[in-house]
Amino acid sequence: MALDSNQYEEEEYSATLSGAALLRLLRLTLNYRGYLAGYVVGVIGMVLAEGTHIYLGKRILDEGVLAGDLGEVKYLLWLWAGVAVALAGCVALFIFCAGSVGQAMNYDLRKTMFGRLQELSLAYYDRTPVGWIMARATSDSRRVSELVSFGFLDMFWGMMSILVFLGFMAAISWQLALVMLAVVPVMVGSALLFQRHILGHWRDVRRLNSRITGNYAESIHGVRVTKSLGREDSNLAEFAELATGMYRSSFRAAWLSAAFLPVVQVLAAVAVALIIQVGGLQFRTGVITLGGIQAFIQYIFWMLFPIQEMARVYAQLQQAVASAERIFSLIDSLPEVQDQPGAMEEHSLRGAIEFDAVDFAYEPDNPILQGFNLRVEEGETIALVGPTGAGKSTVVNLLCRFYEPQRGSIRINGQDLRGMTLHALHSRIGMVLQSPYLFSGSVMDNLRYGRLDATDAEVWYAAELAGAADFIDAFEDGYATDVGEGGSLLSAGQKQLISLARAILARPDIFIMDEATSSVDTMTEARIQQGMEQLLETTTSFVIAHRLSTIRNADRILVIKDGGIAEMGSHQELIRAGGYYHDLYRRQFRDEKSRTADPFFGSRLVHA
Amino acid sequence: MMAFLTGALRRQDLDLHVVRARRRVRSCWRFVHGYRSLYLAAVLLLALAALARSSFAWVIRTFTDDVLLPGNYDRIPLMGLYFLSLAAAAGLLTFLGGRLAAQTAEGVTRRLRVFLYDHLQHLPFAYHDRMQTGDLIQRSSSDVEEIRRLFAEHLVGLGRIVSISGMAFFAMWQLSPRLALVSAIVIPISVSVSFGFWSYLARIYDLFQDQEARLSSLLQENIYGARVVRAFAREQYEIAKFERENAILLNRGRNVVRFHNVFWPSMDLILASQMVGSTLFGAWMAIDGQISTGTYVAFTGLLGMMVGPVRHLGRIFAFITQSLVSYDRVLAIINEDREPLDTGLVDMPQELAGDIRFEDVSFVYPEGTQDLPGESTLPGVLHGISFHAEPGQVLAILGPTGSGKTSMMNLLPRFYTYTGGRILLDGRELTEYPRRQLRRNIGVVQQEPFLFSRSIRENITYGTFRKVSEVEIVAAAEAANIHESILAMPRGYDTVVGEQGVTLSGGQRQRVAIARTILKDPRILILDDATSAVDTSTEKAIREALRNLMRNRTTFVIAHRISSIASADRILVLDQGRIVQTGTHEELVAQAGTYRDVFRLQTSIEAELQADIQSTLEAHPA
Repeated sequence: MALDSNQYEEEEYSATLSGAALLRLLRLTLNYRGYLAGYVVGVIGMVLAEGTHIYLGKRILDEGVLAGDLGEVKYLLWLWAGVAVALAGCVALFIFCAGSVGQAMNYDLRKTMFGRLQELSLAYYDRTPVGWIMARATSDSRRVSELVSFGFLDMFWGMMSILVFLGFMAAISWQLALVMLAVVPVMVGSALLFQRHILGHWRDVRRLNSRITGNYAESIHGVRVTKSLGREDSNLAEFAELATGMYRSSFRAAWLSAAFLPVVQVLAAVAVALIIQVGGLQFRTGVITLGGIQAFIQYIFWMLFPIQEMARVYAQLQQAVASAERIFSLIDSLPEVQDQPGAMEEHSLRGAIEFDAVDFAYEPDNPILQGFNLRVEEGETIALVGPTGAGKSTVVNLLCRFYEPQRGSIRINGQDLRGMTLHALHSRIGMVLQSPYLFSGSVMDNLRYGRLDATDAEVWYAAELAGAADFIDAFEDGYATDVGEGGSLLSAGQKQLISLARAILARPDIFIMDEATSSVDTMTEARIQQGMEQLLETTTSFVIAHRLSTIRNADRILVIKDGGIAEMGSHQELIRAGGYYHDLYRRQFRDEKSRTADPFFGSRLVHA
Repeated sequence: MMAFLTGALRRQDLDLHVVRARRRVRSCWRFVHGYRSLYLAAVLLLALAALARSSFAWVIRTFTDDVLLPGNYDRIPLMGLYFLSLAAAAGLLTFLGGRLAAQTAEGVTRRLRVFLYDHLQHLPFAYHDRMQTGDLIQRSSSDVEEIRRLFAEHLVGLGRIVSISGMAFFAMWQLSPRLALVSAIVIPISVSVSFGFWSYLARIYDLFQDQEARLSSLLQENIYGARVVRAFAREQYEIAKFERENAILLNRGRNVVRFHNVFWPSMDLILASQMVGSTLFGAWMAIDGQISTGTYVAFTGLLGMMVGPVRHLGRIFAFITQSLVSYDRVLAIINEDREPLDTGLVDMPQELAGDIRFEDVSFVYPEGTQDLPGESTLPGVLHGISFHAEPGQVLAILGPTGSGKTSMMNLLPRFYTYTGGRILLDGRELTEYPRRQLRRNIGVVQQEPFLFSRSIRENITYGTFRKVSEVEIVAAAEAANIHESILAMPRGYDTVVGEQGVTLSGGQRQRVAIARTILKDPRILILDDATSAVDTSTEKAIREALRNLMRNRTTFVIAHRISSIASADRILVLDQGRIVQTGTHEELVAQAGTYRDVFRLQTSIEAELQADIQSTLEAHPA
């Protein structure tokens, strides 16, 4: 299964930076105080070592070479080597600390997000695309971690470098250091301003880039239509225009970026020229040595890199903070359905089920159920029929409390659903869906999902009841067969049977089958009905189905239409009434008969 | 015709067929054709910039030896000026080189994007059947971006390192060849150490990425299976499962950190030992009088410039290797052959009659084809198919899934080429006509047609290559029975499909496709399962729309319901790739065979239903 996260790699196209998100991010970073302390020590040590190296270079020139003292040169080089070892140690320390902060942050963000996702209600998943969530947990999380580790580090390192080098310069000649103090803010300021200008152009490029990707995607998906309509040339013309726009934008952004480094370098050269000028005069009066001038020039060159890095982090910062904002929005989402204070951990859901004047809508202006009333006795089997989107699945979703009704209440054995914990409710309801989801792993793992402590014999028995045992035994690896990602190695019918067995294994008090066996062939279907007869007899069940045999066997049939119950009664009563059910029955009858008896379908039906 | 190609980009510049080569080096070399002199100029400029920066050493030496030490202080301003001019030159050259490099990188990328786009839409059906859509999208977006980076960043970075180190070495050589040689010892050492490290990193980074992918699919499964997790109250179990994999990822991430933890300090120590050795050697030469003080000062400046950048080489090579993998993946697409659209022996006549004759046609799918469109169960193979459709006739094709109905119809627009026999259109073999002209005369309507994410209006005119008036569009929409529905949409004909939550129902999509085909006005029409309506409420509207569309066209109707084909001029019954029966409804009902079985069955079901309802009504109420 390809990850479709690319399309949700959204960018902030505006240049605004959320201060609140940045602050929260900084607070989060403070969780890793130990590492942070290590990385501050490492960076300061490293910067001091670099400054010292240049300073030692000055002394080698002045006190060794100019003085003609090779012994002094050797002594100073020993010092230099010692500092180099310390420098390497500091580098190791800060890489370790920054890297660890990044990994830990990434780990913690993923953990927090995953935990939150387990709490969120299904309504959240309905309105949030899978790709969006995936992008938060992958690219956004990575981007944020990179910022708090090496991004913040480089920023800190950059500032420390400039400060420390200025300090060393002042030690050599405070007059020259004053000159630099005037120049450095200009360099840093113009670098950041310039960077900001470039950023705007890169945002354009990213926007165009996502359009290009979208265009590719559509063109590949629709290639057969393009061919049959002969649209190749017009499509190419349109795309070439888009690509040319992209070329212009990215070229502009790229050459502006190419100008960045030279501009900073020329500014640095101006500083060096100033040092040559002023330093030369000072040399004349003996205020500064030759080595001092050399060291100054080196300090200036060494400042270039920090400035460059700070500009880079600045660019990274905007994107990462936008990522953090999206991550926070996920973490801060509140589940619509939550356990209420004092909710009971019920151990049985036996008893009558009542829907009392329930109103429900997924979207505010599109009501599904209005004033819905229903009473189901313990052990009854209810068939729900009706047009697509009328609310059959909604009724069972509400019973599972996947969603909360806007008005009215639902009671089991007189106890309001809101008075029990979600865990208690869900562990006593067995649900089988039309497109059941299996998790990658073995058949056994998936069956056990219903009850983690079930014995092998119990699992086999459940599979037997669900009519799944035969095909599982036929697999070479039997119950150890890998089902593939999302169950992709199994057919739709096989998945349905496994999901049925999984639910049977859970020994629920209430059983719900939502088109549970739609992809199963007729013979198997009949066997399942036999196997489940006893279960359905004693368990309150809701069955949403098209298949007539399933519907006819129900104790009561409900036609859900226009927000409520349009017809209710036994099969005979409803046929006699001659309403919606009557029509549905006729249509379905034709369909099923032709499907089972039609030589086209019957003879070569590929059994699911 | 190609007026859209503005500026330097002309059609012949667009062609990237030349990059098809067995050897990657040759392919890459051809890939930059048209940009070679530009790229060469960029490299030269960057090298000159490096030379200018190395010349700082010369200024420093002169400043030390000829100005400061002898006390020629009046020449100080001149030194500053020298320095500034060199810096300005270096800056300008760097900028110009960077700009040319950017022009090359963006230029070759645009050419690649456009060529690839065109190439993909010219690759035959068989290719698209074989490839996963997601994979193709991935290659044309991420991999192309990776190739852009190769030219915009990695190669430029490589050039920068080589030219700076090289020029610094050259400048040092001018100062003192011995000093230069002694100082260069570290270069081969650090390059090989860096290579070793980075190939090791590639391995542990792969492990990290594998685990990252594992975690992603785990998360994806959890999201898709959210309902199951809730239904079985397995949240804690899922969290524990995720936690295990998350911890493994953390560990592997730490391994990557550990690598950097060893690599960079080691590199620093290697370079530091070179610095110590060279400085000692240089100082000794200066004290010994073999070189001047100025030379020593200049040398110390050049030393860092020469050895510093080298440690990044390993990383850049790792990036380049990665980009070349992307290059190969894109090249694999380019290496596929296009299907020619415009080659043919004759032009299509202006007034095509639409007379079609299949003579003993057989067809086998090319190897490696999977997931055939419309044929989900059996590989569609056709044997000895012969029939004749006269202009304006309606031919129905009945048969079970996998019998070859769609495969047979795919031969007509030459989406696939038949492997035996002949197909004649107006008396000439299909292969004599150019594909483009052929396809313009054939319209295909499917049950679930593909619409593009543009306005309804653009979707309707999508297959038309002339200016279409508003009146014509509305007329087509009316004939397709979709006009009213369009007007009811938020922005009418300007409603963009798939945007602002506008989702068209299956029936609506189908009728937009019918309107599209009406405007295209083909002589030959293929209705692929278009008659079995998606929902009963729109069935009537679609039937009517189709009747309007079929008027005066040679039409092929693929169906598996007798009711939708009984009125056809002729019916072909297909089974396992062969025509088993042919005739009109009346003829076929009169003879024993599959058709009559199906017909009888569908009639008997009605009787059965009546009986069933009757018995239910007569039974005692429960």
